[in-house]
Amino acid sequence: MMQVPGDIQIIKEDNVTHSFCGLACVGWMYQKIKDSFFLILGTHTCAHFLQNALGMMIFAKPRFGIALMEEGDLSKNEPTLQEIISEIKSDHNPSVIFLLSSCTPEVMKVDFKGLAHHLSTPQVPVLFVPASGLVYNFTQAEDSVLAALVPFCPQAPAGEKKVVFLGSVNDSTADDLRAEAEELGIPVGGFLPESRFDKMPAIGPDTVLAPVQPYLSRVAVKLSRERGCSVLHSLFPFGPDGTRVFWEDLAREFGITVDLRDREKAAWEKIRKQTDLLKGKKVFFTADTMMELPLARFLHNAGADVVECSSAYIIKKFHARELEALDGVRVVEQPNFHRQLEDVRRIKPDLIVTSLMTANPFVGNGFVVKWSMEFMLMPIHSWSGVISLANLFVSPLQRRSKLPAFDEKVWLEGIMPSAE
Amino acid sequence: MRLAFWLYEGTALHGISRVTNSMKGVHTVYHAPQGDDYITATYTMLERTPQFPGLSISVVRGRDLAQGVSRLPTTLQQVDHHYHPELIVIAPSCSTALLQEDLHQLAAHSGVPNERLMVYALNPFRVSENEAADGLFTELVKRYAVTQEKTAAPSVNILGFTSLGFHLRANLTSITRMLQTLGITVNVVAPWGSSIEDLGRLPAAWLNIAPYQEIGVNAAAYLEETFSMPSLTEAPLGVEPTMAWLRSLLEKLNAIGSDRGTPPLVMPNLKAFSLDGLSAPSGVPWFARTADMESFSNKKAFVFGDATHTVGIVKFLRDELGMQIIGAGTYLEQHADWVRKELEGYLPGALMVTDRFQDVAKVIEDEMPDLVCGTQMERHSCRKLDVPCMVVCPPTHIENHLLGYYPFFGFAGADVIADRVYLSCKLGLEKHLIDFFGDAGLEYEESASSEEGHVIPSDSNGEASESVTSEVTVLPDEGEMKWSDDAETMLKKVPFFVRKKVRKNTDTFARSIGEPVVTVDVFRKAKESLGG
Repeated sequence: MMQVPGDIQIIKEDNVTHSFCGLACVGWMYQKIKDSFFLILGTHTCAHFLQNALGMMIFAKPRFGIALMEEGDLSKNEPTLQEIISEIKSDHNPSVIFLLSSCTPEVMKVDFKGLAHHLSTPQVPVLFVPASGLVYNFTQAEDSVLAALVPFCPQAPAGEKKVVFLGSVNDSTADDLRAEAEELGIPVGGFLPESRFDKMPAIGPDTVLAPVQPYLSRVAVKLSRERGCSVLHSLFPFGPDGTRVFWEDLAREFGITVDLRDREKAAWEKIRKQTDLLKGKKVFFTADTMMELPLARFLHNAGADVVECSSAYIIKKFHARELEALDGVRVVEQPNFHRQLEDVRRIKPDLIVTSLMTANPFVGNGFVVKWSMEFMLMPIHSWSGVISLANLFVSPLQRRSKLPAFDEKVWLEGIMPSAE
Repeated sequence: MRLAFWLYEGTALHGISRVTNSMKGVHTVYHAPQGDDYITATYTMLERTPQFPGLSISVVRGRDLAQGVSRLPTTLQQVDHHYHPELIVIAPSCSTALLQEDLHQLAAHSGVPNERLMVYALNPFRVSENEAADGLFTELVKRYAVTQEKTAAPSVNILGFTSLGFHLRANLTSITRMLQTLGITVNVVAPWGSSIEDLGRLPAAWLNIAPYQEIGVNAAAYLEETFSMPSLTEAPLGVEPTMAWLRSLLEKLNAIGSDRGTPPLVMPNLKAFSLDGLSAPSGVPWFARTADMESFSNKKAFVFGDATHTVGIVKFLRDELGMQIIGAGTYLEQHADWVRKELEGYLPGALMVTDRFQDVAKVIEDEMPDLVCGTQMERHSCRKLDVPCMVVCPPTHIENHLLGYYPFFGFAGADVIADRVYLSCKLGLEKHLIDFFGDAGLEYEESASSEEGHVIPSDSNGEASESVTSEVTVLPDEGEMKWSDDAETMLKKVPFFVRKKVRKNTDTFARSIGEPVVTVDVFRKAKESLGG
């Protein structure tokens, strides 16, 4: 166990869990950065993962692909990607190519940095993105993508005090964040990432970096070290509570004092129906996307009983404020799924937030679930996201209560003969 | 090294897990980095398994490798403690296979008794999904099947039915219903729903039914060799093949019965195979003879898929529906010889053997068939080209895992396939009317269907896959022909559902005669020359 400010104890287990590897980030990053191409140096496994687990069937020519390592490639010293890069350039004309690592070439100790450097041209840089499941969890490779983009963020001059929001969000969420900041009198420098490679924001010593996703600690540290910018340490802008604290703290960085308590109150009021339903409900997070801490904190403040908040990785400094706000909640890092299964059966939570891999079996065991991945694909940030966020938790509970009674002895018969 | 976007077959790990997820009391432990158990999602999402599949990961982290730590023994202990499986299959992933660890020794450190462990370490760079599944299933049969007395009454095993198999449940129901009608007992179905003990009982049956070339025939061959059990490896796909299958089944069982002195099984009146017991068992033979279906003699079909379904569907379309086969192919190179032999005389050219969907899409684009039978991938390719397509084999999509009874095997299966062909193709008399008089008031369908392709996903469903990528559907069409306004107006008079095809043929014609623009005159010439 380790101690963090606020005396929150984090239980650390052995990471025997069900979640995706870093390559999953391709699913949203290629859509976010519209003039990019994501090339994974990987195997059949990587390709099968992307086409199955993320449900990405390929219509024509998506802006991502696998440089497929076959048996003959294993004996070669260095992979030869020149032809593939040429093919990508002629078919897609990208402004930037991200070269993602995967487990097999990492085991082979491929020199990715050298490879990317060698393939780069001034016109089309090839940027190395470490993403393999040997090191990176589900959402964490976005951290790597953003870190690779750092050299392409222009240097902001000293004295240019602006906020740069850190994390990929869709354009309408970005517009909302920008408008909200401007309303508060906070000058906006942009977003990392922007939706085009040549539009990355300027970052300098007086930039305030405001992370809006909880899995981007590495790039935040890198930027503060390399550019001397400051990093906002606040709650993440989810829910009325997080959103108020986020904006108040951010404003303070700019010498602006705002009191958003009325706004927070009004936001809670708007979701009163939802929070009434969530009050006292036992909620269990099994760990998947690394968004668990802020989501659990919102539920905790909404009156729910978070019986376990597990997350793949907890970064003490980056997550400090969220951990403080989770005082009294059982927080687990790198959980063991087998243990969780036993605890779930004992505690009988009212709602389980869990991965695609485990959701339906939990339902089959009589529980109500929510896919953890949905929180990444819905606009749940800031004030405009409050209702969506609350509804994501409430809708499975409400829907279940409306469905007719279910006798599992009858209706599950023969569905999974291997489990009978 | 090549640039790949999408692959037909899954990995060796996927094949292994398909077998173990089918079985009771068997657990797979992947010795793999985080994320390689994504395969679990294919079962929990596509098969909507109400229990946790027997699949666990023994996570290999970069740090563990650096420190020389292996978590495999602990994971095996945990799995043993929590789930008490009768057998744990240990499988490396592509990356850990390179580590050249002694998995036997590592597994032994767990203290789990050796007889409950099985290291199944294939070369993931050489072996893919089907071969791995078939190989593991055969290994398990070899390991557990024991000599024993045959059942008193005629009985069969049904082999090769495996988790995520195409229309698996319905096919199994269709076969077992026919067996019931004949009075034949099913001894064991495997691997689907079978236990280790069931594998032990396999040799009690008189005969093995193994209709899938991909999985099960090798186990059947082993059982034939070791326990002298005859096998029936044809697929009852289509009415005539089903009849042949039934006759062959009776013949083989009666040969054994006569040695054992049991009364022979007889073929009942065929209406006994119908759902109501009072009718023809299938509507296909009459349907195929109706005047309405006469137009099918002009319809050209292209078939691409695994081995079993490619062969079965080509034969069905030509022999039973009287369609023309313009080509066929498979992505299973290891079965290509078998497919070639089976389809001798059916194909106008060579069998296409490729695992690149782009090559298949190119053939479809060049040929513009009236019907494509393929995998989920061909459905995507065809959608872009507006070519009718039905999915007849894996790889599948969530929409191929439906609730209703849609077998492909047996008499009921012939009806299902014929219905799907009928619904997929443009129809007979209706087509003549439209061809002759123009749009027949159906023009609105075009605008409706073209909008469909541009829907942006509003839900966050992980399976909203088509729409996820719909924004990138438009292929850059190099060297597109220019059309004059008059010619465009004339093209509008062509029925909407063949318009793309006519445009393409006319483009090709114009290029061939060196015309840079399609004018009304060029269009007329093209119609005359192409007969359209």
